[in-house]
Amino acid sequence: MPDWVQRYWEDVREGDELPTLEFPITIARLVIAAAANRDFWPLHHSSEFARASGAADMYANNIFLQGMWERSVREYIGLAGVLKKLGPFRMRGFNVVGETVVVKGVVRRTWQSEGENFVELELRSENSRGVLTVAPGPVIATLPSRASAPFRP
Amino acid sequence: MTDGEWPAEWQPMIDAVGQDFGGGIVYVAADDVEKALVRRYLEPLEFDCPLHYDEEVARQYGYRGIVAPYSGMSTWIADAKWKPGTVAFTSAERGALPPNAGLGRYPMPGDPEPPRLPRPPTEYSFVTETEVDYVRAVIVGDRLSQTGCRLLSCIPKETRVGRGAFVTTEVEIHNQRGELVARMRQQLYCYNPHQKAAQ
Repeated sequence: MPDWVQRYWEDVREGDELPTLEFPITIARLVIAAAANRDFWPLHHSSEFARASGAADMYANNIFLQGMWERSVREYIGLAGVLKKLGPFRMRGFNVVGETVVVKGVVRRTWQSEGENFVELELRSENSRGVLTVAPGPVIATLPSRASAPFRP
Repeated sequence: MTDGEWPAEWQPMIDAVGQDFGGGIVYVAADDVEKALVRRYLEPLEFDCPLHYDEEVARQYGYRGIVAPYSGMSTWIADAKWKPGTVAFTSAERGALPPNAGLGRYPMPGDPEPPRLPRPPTEYSFVTETEVDYVRAVIVGDRLSQTGCRLLSCIPKETRVGRGAFVTTEVEIHNQRGELVARMRQQLYCYNPHQKAAQ
């Protein structure tokens, strides 16, 4: 569970790594994800359908995978951080049942513009075997600055 | 059709790049963004962020209420799986699907028809790339609507799973106040698996 200690823009350095997150993919988790995100396309809960489509097995949909990135980013930028842009979020391989999706991230750049304090994070997802499944892609967010008015609360 | 000719089927789509196929239609989400839906969205992610479940915390951070996770934009705008006056489940065949199993639109008689994308039929598709500009947060209680469907690109390609094309479109999402919430670009790979493509 994150401690939600707020990170400030001045604390961030290019090259800083985000904590790695792991998401074991089981049938139950895929079904719970489908029920939550409303994507019941059977590629994401039917092995039979997924295999007929050319995939190795049922696999996580893009909303679930985006959510993994959002959790990683949120735990880094804290409650006062604001998401500004995702992507391109490019899927390079299927995140199939029985694998663990491993989400990693690194700070690529920081800048200030029009009174806001930006960070660009580069995230990636890999499977249990270290194979890239979601390409390294950017997420842009803002952070509070120690130099400006304190964020609420 | 010979092996080298299949990409020509996609030429009408390539020629249509830049056109908007939204037809001026406003698609309103089936539901308000509800607290329970947001809570359930967090479950498979084990996403323990109080902005998404604690209204007091969300307000302390300047939001109107509980914030819906940004990654769920396609969920918050989703249409129904069934609507009164219709029958969605018409077959006991094991793999039979209702009209809107994924995250498309549920067709209703009399609904305005958007212009059809000039694409050849394909058996499967999946999302390959998403890009979203988040303009403002989605808050529990919001009712989102979607407009536009601008065709940004169409790239025929044979891949490991079949023959088809990468098709990218852009939509805009607004809240019930008419405020722009997000611009979302999504690329789908629309394809026929190799066995079918060869027939």
